[in-house]
Amino acid sequence: MDDVTSEFDLVLQAFWLTIQLAALSGVVSLVLGTVLAAMRVGPVAPFRLAATTYVNVVRNTPLLIVFVFVFVAFPNLGLLVGTPFLLKGVVAVSLYTAPFVCEAIRAGINAVPLGQAEAARAIGLTFGQTMGNVVLPQAFRAAVPPLASVLIAMTKNTSIAAVFGLMEATARMRYFTNNSADDTVIFLVFALGYIIIVETLSAGAWGLERRWRVAR
Amino acid sequence: MARPGRMWIVSGAMTTHRTTDDLVVLDHVDKWFGQLHVLKDVDLRIRRGEVVVVIGPSGSGKSTLCRAINRLEPIDKGTITLDGKPLPEEGKELAALRAEVGMVFQSFNLFAHKTILENVTLGPIKVRGHKKDAAEKRARELLDRVGVGHQAEKYPAQLSGGQQQRVAIARALAMEPKVMLFDEPTSALDPEMISEVLEVMVDLAKQGMTMVVVTHEMGFARTAGDRVVFMADGAIVEEATPEQFFTNPQSDRAKDFLGKILKH
Amino acid sequence: MRHARFRMAAAAVLLAGGLAACGDAGNDDAEGVDVEVAENAADEFDDGTRMKELAEDGNIVIGVKFDQPGIGFKGATDDAPVGFDPEIGKILAADLGIAAEDITWKETISDNREPFLESGEVDLVIASYSITDERREVVGQAGPYYVTGQQLLVRSDSDIDSLDDVKGTEVCSVTGSTSLENIEAEGARPRGFDTYSECVDQVLNGTVDAMTTDGAILLGYAAENADQLKVVVEPFSEERYGVGYSLEAPEMCQWIVDTITEAQEDGAWDEAFQATLGQSGVETPEPPAMDECPA
Repeated sequence: MDDVTSEFDLVLQAFWLTIQLAALSGVVSLVLGTVLAAMRVGPVAPFRLAATTYVNVVRNTPLLIVFVFVFVAFPNLGLLVGTPFLLKGVVAVSLYTAPFVCEAIRAGINAVPLGQAEAARAIGLTFGQTMGNVVLPQAFRAAVPPLASVLIAMTKNTSIAAVFGLMEATARMRYFTNNSADDTVIFLVFALGYIIIVETLSAGAWGLERRWRVAR
Repeated sequence: MARPGRMWIVSGAMTTHRTTDDLVVLDHVDKWFGQLHVLKDVDLRIRRGEVVVVIGPSGSGKSTLCRAINRLEPIDKGTITLDGKPLPEEGKELAALRAEVGMVFQSFNLFAHKTILENVTLGPIKVRGHKKDAAEKRARELLDRVGVGHQAEKYPAQLSGGQQQRVAIARALAMEPKVMLFDEPTSALDPEMISEVLEVMVDLAKQGMTMVVVTHEMGFARTAGDRVVFMADGAIVEEATPEQFFTNPQSDRAKDFLGKILKH
Repeated sequence: MRHARFRMAAAAVLLAGGLAACGDAGNDDAEGVDVEVAENAADEFDDGTRMKELAEDGNIVIGVKFDQPGIGFKGATDDAPVGFDPEIGKILAADLGIAAEDITWKETISDNREPFLESGEVDLVIASYSITDERREVVGQAGPYYVTGQQLLVRSDSDIDSLDDVKGTEVCSVTGSTSLENIEAEGARPRGFDTYSECVDQVLNGTVDAMTTDGAILLGYAAENADQLKVVVEPFSEERYGVGYSLEAPEMCQWIVDTITEAQEDGAWDEAFQATLGQSGVETPEPPAMDECPA
């Protein structure tokens, strides 16, 4: 109990790692998910098939198994052996989160009226320009609430990394609980840390949603 | 790029058509939506500077015809050439060609997340590669010309339908198109706003713009049209000058149609 | 080699599903030792003691580890766990007149040992349960019945052979364990995993430089992969394994100490060690002297 207070720097370090893991994974997932979404709605059939397959396979795989692949199965085959743990964590979380991002954005794309893309094509924008300048900006706006849910879930999912070599918040929590008789205070401190991170995320999403509200 | 042979054929074709001064040529065009035969062996030549008004009952294929000209609807048989060039497959070349064809939609389709000014400058900046300053200067001129210059900083939803449609016309004009397609441009408008849009279109016609206009506005056809194309069941049934068509229609379908719409 | 890799990957996937499958470690002597069961044991205890209740019930619930070869291990298809801890459990149960087959074994992981004792989910915890002052505030710990120390398991070609060499290296153990904390204090970068077998995989495939935990457990893994792994470094901590009991039944302490002392004297302790931890090749140590029970 006095551990948590006297070694509070360890708690902060651990949450800093959690934040790094979440932030990097968030960026990579958003990029990868957007690319997947563009592939799924795009005109190239092999891309559509590849993206659809990836989304369906990974979305139906438990996160723990994705971690086992990245941290245990791949290294056993000689892959990712020298890769830093943080990076492997980002790979695992992003591979898992990207399909959810993809589906949220795809729902956003479907919410953009077809006429918007037609008008863009009619003035001579290519498929990429149409997506980048007209469809995706509006799709993102429509997708902010579901994307916020995806990113919140992702932030909490980073805790799986606790049992794959990363001394992030959950791992540090178990370090404290292992040493202590009364775990309640420790649980509360760490739960509060996660709540602060997630609430910050929610507030950001809410702000974006207000700023980007598109009238039709 | 590295296909001189093909280029030669294309430029050859261009010269042939240039001599006849046809800007848009539809040659034996057929299209099906599943079982439904929506364009039946359509032949149509539109000369440079000509205003062609396409009329007909709903479901006659006139919108599809209009959208086929910039390949928003791909066709199944026949050829469509624009200024001598056949429409390419979906891709960069088609995008470049579409930039030459202005299109105005029934539902305006202004980009909802962009200001009026940005709506008009997007194409010139992204497709033509114009500088932002130059594109904005030109856009403001066009917006003034269609009478919405003072609304440039607003978003589409803040404008009335008539204003939005005039912005849409300015957006198309900003690309300096060779031909303008209007797909029922006034059908979604409240009656009091129709004339403000038609006035802009009449002005355009007077300035010599080549136009294909799908519309139910017979007044516009009479005042601004060089030729009326009457369609029914996916085929062109009759082509005539507005004067001839409205006073002395030849086909029963046209007589029937005119009887219904002019009665009230 | 290829076969071994496949097996490890497959095992890893199974582990993710929550199955503690890790090769055949500790299974060689699945039977363990036959312990002589006391007769009419209930008569030996005073009324109102927990021992009397248990002896009369004829059943006892003991929490042990299921994933530590040599200490406490139960394969997916095994009926009962095997290892030094279950052997100690059998000795204690026998004194209550309870036969090995009447013991209910419950898997305890590091995090739930105190809650299980406090809630009465288990009667005893014998699960590589190091005696610490913090733990003794909430549960009773009798012993030590065994003393081991933290060491390092490295690849055979590793340069690490003293504790100074671990600075800046990556060393894995089980997330939240004291071993991980200790090695972090030595300047290594701690890498916590869910199970020891995942941690061993990280050493074998070269992702981390070493694995650390109690020497007894490491020897079990080294024996499995004798050509690839070795245990190095003199024990640099002292882990004193105790038997956990509920503070609501303080009378159990003296009974546990007496029963284990008797086993140490009559050779049952030695037999239990040789059948389990002794399989990894270490010599049977002198049994440790046990702490006095709190008054």
